[in-house]
Amino acid sequence: MDRRAIGNGHLWGIGMSELVRLTEITKVYQGGVTGALNGVSLTVEEGEFTAVMGPSGSGKTTLLNLVAGLDRPTSGSVTVAGSDLGPLGETALARFRRDHIGFVFQFFHLLPNLTVLENVLIPAQLKSRVSSEAAGRELLAQLGIAELADRYPAKLSGGQQQRVSIARALINRPTLLLADEPTGALDTRSGDEVMELLRQLHRQGKTVLLVTHDAKLATRYAARVVSVMDGRIVDDARLETADREASDVIKVRGEETR
Amino acid sequence: MTAILVKAIADLRRRRVQAVVIFVTVLLSIGTGTMAVTLMSQTRDPYQTAFQAQKGAHLQVTFNPKTDPKLLAATPAAIGASAFGGPYLATGLEFKYGDRKYYQNTFGRDTPGGAVEVLKIAGGRWPRANDEIVLTRSFAELNNVPLGAHLRVTSVPQTPMLTVVGEVIDIDEGSADLSSQHAWVLPAAIPALTTPDSRFYAMDYRFPGDPTSSQLAGYVDRLRASLPPGSISGSVNYLLIRSIFNITNQILTGVLSAFSVFALVATIAIVAVLVTGIVISAYREIGIMKALGFTPAGVTGVFTLQIVIPALAACLLGIPAGTLVSQPLLANSSHALGLPYTPSFSISLDLLILVAGLLVVVVAASLPALRAGLLKPITAITNATAPRGGSGRRVRRQAARLGLPRPVILGIGDAFARPLRAVLTVVTVLIGVATVVVAIGLPRSFLLINNSETGAGRYQVLVSRSDAYPDSEVMRILNAKEETARVVAVGGQNVVIPGISDPVNTRLLRGDSAQLGYMVIAGRWFTAPGEVLAPKGLLQEAHLKIGDQVTGSVNGEPLQLRVVGEVYDISNLGRSLFMDLATMAAVRPVIDPFTYYVTLKQGTDVNAYVGRVAAAQPDLIDVHASDTSIIAPVKIIDSVLLVLAAVLALIGVGGVFNTLLLNTRERVHDTATLKAVGMSPRQVIVMVAAAAGLLALVGGLLAMPLGLILHHMLNDVISSSAGNDTPPGAYAVFNPLELGVIPLLAVAVAMLAALVPGRWAARTNVVEVLHSE
Repeated sequence: MDRRAIGNGHLWGIGMSELVRLTEITKVYQGGVTGALNGVSLTVEEGEFTAVMGPSGSGKTTLLNLVAGLDRPTSGSVTVAGSDLGPLGETALARFRRDHIGFVFQFFHLLPNLTVLENVLIPAQLKSRVSSEAAGRELLAQLGIAELADRYPAKLSGGQQQRVSIARALINRPTLLLADEPTGALDTRSGDEVMELLRQLHRQGKTVLLVTHDAKLATRYAARVVSVMDGRIVDDARLETADREASDVIKVRGEETR
Repeated sequence: MTAILVKAIADLRRRRVQAVVIFVTVLLSIGTGTMAVTLMSQTRDPYQTAFQAQKGAHLQVTFNPKTDPKLLAATPAAIGASAFGGPYLATGLEFKYGDRKYYQNTFGRDTPGGAVEVLKIAGGRWPRANDEIVLTRSFAELNNVPLGAHLRVTSVPQTPMLTVVGEVIDIDEGSADLSSQHAWVLPAAIPALTTPDSRFYAMDYRFPGDPTSSQLAGYVDRLRASLPPGSISGSVNYLLIRSIFNITNQILTGVLSAFSVFALVATIAIVAVLVTGIVISAYREIGIMKALGFTPAGVTGVFTLQIVIPALAACLLGIPAGTLVSQPLLANSSHALGLPYTPSFSISLDLLILVAGLLVVVVAASLPALRAGLLKPITAITNATAPRGGSGRRVRRQAARLGLPRPVILGIGDAFARPLRAVLTVVTVLIGVATVVVAIGLPRSFLLINNSETGAGRYQVLVSRSDAYPDSEVMRILNAKEETARVVAVGGQNVVIPGISDPVNTRLLRGDSAQLGYMVIAGRWFTAPGEVLAPKGLLQEAHLKIGDQVTGSVNGEPLQLRVVGEVYDISNLGRSLFMDLATMAAVRPVIDPFTYYVTLKQGTDVNAYVGRVAAAQPDLIDVHASDTSIIAPVKIIDSVLLVLAAVLALIGVGGVFNTLLLNTRERVHDTATLKAVGMSPRQVIVMVAAAAGLLALVGGLLAMPLGLILHHMLNDVISSSAGNDTPPGAYAVFNPLELGVIPLLAVAVAMLAALVPGRWAARTNVVEVLHSE
């Protein structure tokens, strides 16, 4: 096994602190008819780039929502950055998200009546009145969209909007960056650009948890791929080689990608 | 049509809150309008009906006791009267009942019937003996004088006793709380109840058709010309009586009509906002409807019907409710007329209100609904959501400069994101707050005027003397009391003024009358004999202005007068004169005051003082603490204003609530995003409340000048209907602090109203909303 250091200078399994722990998570919707997650346990270490992969309806997005504190499990516990999310009320969860989570959505979810810069600054302004405009502009510059600061989202391309979304997710320097199908609404080129951005952020030390249905994308960028099917984790593979190809062995029960 | 109805009803079931908003708003405004229209249509008829039925006198005239009755008997033919009553021998009667003393003109009549002024017996019977008397029911009820009561006459030395045997309705008098009242005895009883100074003659005249004011003036002139100078001592015509009778309802009708229009405007605004919001939220649905085959008219119909159905229900409830609420006022009028009360309403009028109300709602709803009808199907299906509103960026920037918290800034920006909706909402708030301003201000103005009319704070005791007790004795008693600080004596005499057909009642004042608190609107109080003040009504009718000289006449003798001021006085609807008693020094017989306004030294026990003065002459003077309570008509108007303010404030709150509901539903996606990036539920509520607060603040601030203007205008209308200009003090009844607090209260109420949509927004399920695409 290649124990090459990746990203934040820690060796796999050595000196890594646990950032996310899901313990025996079950999530049931619609009065018990449909189970989105069924007894899932998962840990994510600090500095990891983890992809949660699975087909539509597998429960991967539900898992992400639970980690973000946007949803609550039917049973089990969720601990993120040392905080057990179970006892937290809505206000505390909102604060938790402000402080620890950066969320990148598939459909960007920018506020259409705010400019790009205003959208980026919103999470910081909800947290504190201290002006963070400089930090916001710096982020936009880092993401290559500084010139778009005063534009409205409707005037941007999908790729640009997703960059804005990433900048917004980063403004509060979150502990954990969550990305739910970040390339799902983008063309291939834009999607690649966005994924490169996420890779760069990971290399800069960010812990990234990515949800995708795209196995190629997952294997190409993530160091670890957790496969989810019918609400259960069916595979959890750490990819420790520097070069990853689609032909590398990632087995999802009933599927092979080569 | 069936598909349209089915879709509309299905949508209505889904939008229950909005249906309730429409229902309540239309209910309130239609109810108010119905009340106004019912009062307007029904107040004239009962009086006219009763007047005709009781053969009311178009003209009632009193004559000098020296006038030859034979001459009086010839006057109907001389002036062209179609019917007449009298001449009646009459007297000014003073009597005592309980611990109170009263003065009434009492007429000698054989029967209550006749060709003119039929007296309708409401209880008891007509007198059969000389010691029996009949009173008006209005007087008896006001003063709790029952049938069988014994009245001790104090205006003649023998102080005979009269027994009340009957109560009548006299169509030729106003109610006892606003007008002096008459009484009746048999003709043979009059001499024993009369002194040379108190007797007079009276006649009633009817003329063909419904004579106008100028025609009646002509009849009086002809009457005057047919008699020796000074024969006519007083006259009153039926138009004045009718005005006094109707004045409360007239004012109410005016106020109700004005505010009904406001309520209607507010309703239109709310309907327009609501339909626009529904259309915006149903964009994709509109596309699907069109794809399925709904025509533009059909789509418009669906959205219009969703509003018309609850509006119709509201009308069906509101019209009977408004009619019902107006009944006590109409019953009051009927009672005063002695008519059996029957519910007064007009089916055809109610139907007209229904049609008109629905038409207004249909127009208000269908114009924005047309937008839905004209939408291209592909645009609606493809876009799925309506074009977003404006960014509100400028407003947000301004708010950011103020250093406000971010949720507040976002909320403030949202408030005007859809300018038309914001403007309409501001209109509803504006109307509500302006009405509140009027409802606070008008009662205060009325109180000010009431205090002026009743001398509140100026004098505490009112003394009246019988003709049998000399003025000098009253003054002696009062001046002997060390608690007496000031006495102003008041007498009265009718004066003929050129240009005014009926002799004018005067207040003849002796003493420091300037301290009585009468409101001088222009000019000054009199300081010498011959100087007079009059209300606007008289000045206008006589074409007089301040500084003019006029020669009046009393008992046929000329009287030189000079107008020095305009005063506020509602007696006889502004036909009165105020002057120094000394102006009448040369008039014979000598005019002595009969009423005394007593101001006490500070700290005096009023009741004890009243007791001591009354004890000095228990029979021949009436002493009581002055009554400064507000008269019944004003209380009614105050109550109606309060209700109106509540109704329109509620509509204003409904408008804000409606807008917030629409805004939060439209922005549910944004709210979910904000929650996802860390906005707490409390911050969401603050955001929604900030939008409400800003709309209410703008509406409230704009409402203040409007409310003050309305207050000003209504004061003028009401004062004018009573024959007066508005005294300046009646306008200035607000203190600056209140003018600042009222808009802030509007903000507080709006923010409370925001709690419901705010909590709804705060409970937005982020996962459901953001992942539902």
